[in-house]
Amino acid sequence: MLSTRIKLELFGCLAAELKRTFSYRQPEKRPDGRDDDEIAKMTVFALIIINKAGGLIYNKTFHEGGLNKINTNDLLVLAGTFHGVHAITARLNPLKTSGDRTSTASASGMLSRPEPPTGLEVLESENFRLQCFTTMTGVKFLLFTDTTQANVDVTIRRIYDLYADYVMKNPFYQLEMPVRCDMFDRKLLSYVREINNR
Amino acid sequence: MVVYSFYIFDRHTECIYARTWLPTDRPLSSSTGAGGGAVTNGASKPPKRRDDNDNTAKLIFGTVFSLRNMVRRLGGDDDAFISYRTAQYKLHYYETPTNTRFVMLTDTSTMSMRNVLHQIYINLWVEYVVKNPLSPVEHRGGEGVKNELFELGLDQFVRSLM
Repeated sequence: MLSTRIKLELFGCLAAELKRTFSYRQPEKRPDGRDDDEIAKMTVFALIIINKAGGLIYNKTFHEGGLNKINTNDLLVLAGTFHGVHAITARLNPLKTSGDRTSTASASGMLSRPEPPTGLEVLESENFRLQCFTTMTGVKFLLFTDTTQANVDVTIRRIYDLYADYVMKNPFYQLEMPVRCDMFDRKLLSYVREINNR
Repeated sequence: MVVYSFYIFDRHTECIYARTWLPTDRPLSSSTGAGGGAVTNGASKPPKRRDDNDNTAKLIFGTVFSLRNMVRRLGGDDDAFISYRTAQYKLHYYETPTNTRFVMLTDTSTMSMRNVLHQIYINLWVEYVVKNPLSPVEHRGGEGVKNELFELGLDQFVRSLM
């Protein structure tokens, strides 16, 4: 009698384990775009915000050891370089050359205007992954993460929300100037810590 | 999966091979074979297209070069730039230890093409170009690679991927 119960229990454990391994292989996406198994082993390294002129206005490292330490001067150069490269990548689209775009627009009318080209969105390297999100006003959010990180676009949107709430709504913030907002810092840190510790 | 174009740059930043596989209804189809982007003499037949290609190759090299340096500075010297993606296309990058750079532009849904570029390097570039005693080592003036076997092999290989 006892042994049967133990067996049953064992079986239950086994089933649960199997279920977990199975769900681990095929993580289901929850409606909010997160899945625990995916995020569990991931890290957000750093965030950089570049204004529409290519100037560095915010930079924060969340995880030491993910990226090399770079001094502020080099970081400014890096932001400027990225701004330029981003503009070029938008023009490199192999399917449309710049001349074609106007002709297709005039031939088929205003409604079928082609999507404006976007620049670099995701960059992958062996050690990290860079997600770039450009706002309508041309501000760029660069998020450096682990190579395996998924759903970075959700994270970056959330950071944009925080920026809109605590930087843009701050009456003392001057546009295009470096971001020095305590509230933004705090909210951002707590949000990213939540992701990194999961 | 669609491959749009393929470029090789040598260690002197010169584009030594360019090739496009754009859809046939487009004027810029695969007409520019060997070293299309690299030739700079004005005697070519469609000069505007040639210039366009030339400029595109230069832009691609600039982009790839900047990004590679950026990645190295951020991720350490052992880090390597693999690819980037925009909403319209994806660019794959592979660099050999001798600084020959292979670049491929594909559609956005393509997975990593690093292995493919590595295969092109090993099975086509080394076999047909490097081991060919008649092919020049340096490409001064951007004469580019004109190697029938290499071009044939590349075309077949890429078409087999699509």
